[in-house]
Amino acid sequence: MLQNIFFGLSLGAVYSLIAVGFALVFNILKFSNFSHGGVMSFTAYAGYLAYIWIFDGKVTGVAMFVAVVLTAAVVGSLTAVGIERVGFRRLRSNQAPVIYYFISSITLGILLENIITIFASSNFYSYPVFFSSKNVDLLGTSFSVADFVTLLFSTAALGALLFVLYRTKLGLAVRTVSFDVNTATLMGIDPNRVVMATFALSGALGGISGVFLGMNYSLYPQLGQLVVKGFIASVIGGLGSITGAVIGALLLGIIEVGLIGLVGSGWMPACVFVIMLVFLLVRPRGIAGVIVQEKA
Amino acid sequence: MDYIYSILTLTGITMIGVMGTYMVTGLTGQFSFGQAAFMAVGGYVSAMLTLRFNLPFPVVVLAGSVAATLTGLLVGMPTIRLRRDYISLVTFGFGEAIISVLNNSAQLTGGAEGLVGIPKRVDLPLVAVSVVCCLFLVACYKNSKFGRQSLALRTDELAARSMGIDVNRMKLVTFLFASAITGYAGVLYAFYSQYLEPGYYNWTVSAEWLIIVFVGGINSLTGAMVSAVILTGLPELLRFASAWRILIYCIIVLLIINYRPNGIFGDWEISRLWKRRKAVQGGRA
Repeated sequence: MLQNIFFGLSLGAVYSLIAVGFALVFNILKFSNFSHGGVMSFTAYAGYLAYIWIFDGKVTGVAMFVAVVLTAAVVGSLTAVGIERVGFRRLRSNQAPVIYYFISSITLGILLENIITIFASSNFYSYPVFFSSKNVDLLGTSFSVADFVTLLFSTAALGALLFVLYRTKLGLAVRTVSFDVNTATLMGIDPNRVVMATFALSGALGGISGVFLGMNYSLYPQLGQLVVKGFIASVIGGLGSITGAVIGALLLGIIEVGLIGLVGSGWMPACVFVIMLVFLLVRPRGIAGVIVQEKA
Repeated sequence: MDYIYSILTLTGITMIGVMGTYMVTGLTGQFSFGQAAFMAVGGYVSAMLTLRFNLPFPVVVLAGSVAATLTGLLVGMPTIRLRRDYISLVTFGFGEAIISVLNNSAQLTGGAEGLVGIPKRVDLPLVAVSVVCCLFLVACYKNSKFGRQSLALRTDELAARSMGIDVNRMKLVTFLFASAITGYAGVLYAFYSQYLEPGYYNWTVSAEWLIIVFVGGINSLTGAMVSAVILTGLPELLRFASAWRILIYCIIVLLIINYRPNGIFGDWEISRLWKRRKAVQGGRA
């Protein structure tokens, strides 16, 4: 029981990285960023390549893991900034309707997935094993080391993000722009830089989650479609709310683990979907209870 | 000859699917990533009814479309009254859920190995007639009260609401109509290819349809149809590798979105040709 809850939490921690990366961009540009999945696949591959080309044989164990994750995070932020440049910069300066942001993000997501398919083929690759499959005994139950590190690392990443958002000047700027772009511009904030920084943050989170997903599943071009877990978590938690996304994701992780025990892993996604629908009927605002109004 | 024949048929089926996407996106401005999943529902329901109960083809066609509409209702009801992001996120989840259900009910649907042994009931003439009929229906819908109200709410939901348009009802009606049409496309595909597998109904298919609609011009049904023919039929004929094909689509879309956001056709419709002529003749008389 305790073991299952722990496993659920560690799964939920990865989902929360996805959901928060998604919520960040949602907050600032007010649209659902479907390219986030593409960024995740892309960075998962980048981490793998970094392992093969650079780090293999030089470092081992936890150091190796940290190196791979950091590489993925850096590649993720660069990719996301590139996406903003190619896909959204012109749209923002033209004040294009939200529809175009959607299309642009979908297109970029597919584009990234296809670039991977072309250059890496659609084969499955298995991620390097960073940790021995040892278990740690604690409180009478045993926990796997990988889950432990996942939980630890995700919490650290989220903590760092919250620190940036709420304790730095940049974070203040991000929150201001997400509240009202025009006023923020009048106050001397450069919205372009802030949006770029937000995409970089979201991309870094996407990169970290990409590596975790690659470790949990194997590496294939459609890996990024697991972004759907982040979507479900944000819908449950309340679209656009960062705390909501984290709570929703942890809840989703625990529900999933519970459902796997009850109905098996095959039927789990369908059950989760039904739970989400029921949730939307009962409490469409999500757990956090705030909903970003569509601007009329 | 057979090859060209099959390309034409598949292009026709894609056109019907694209019509569904056009209705959801072009008319009400929603984004559905589950259109391919509705196609799966239509296809699987009709194929299984045929294989298990041996029902006649017309009944099965009806059942497939109705099943797709009902699932549309299930997905649409909770989401359509919320802001537009919800329907994209939820339909995305719906697509994944459908695929996992299909994969895991192996004794019923054949699972990942696919459903085999569906009789061949669909050929090119039937598809051609279907395309014309559906096109007629969608064009009528676009010009009807429903279509105009949908267009109004797409442009400005608040203004539409204040003019007395029941926004949520309109979105739902259009969404259901689109699901029915997409379900029908699924039935056609099932009884043409005689084989169904869950992997075919990936979200990338829905996204590809969206791209097709967008390249043609989000306001133009004519544009959507022309780009469906060009973007699906032509690459098949020229035998592009499929990954490169999608890469090229994406680049085209990015260029269009940045430099010609109304798509190739803008809001031009082919029906304008004879309308204008009629207007000119009317003026002379």
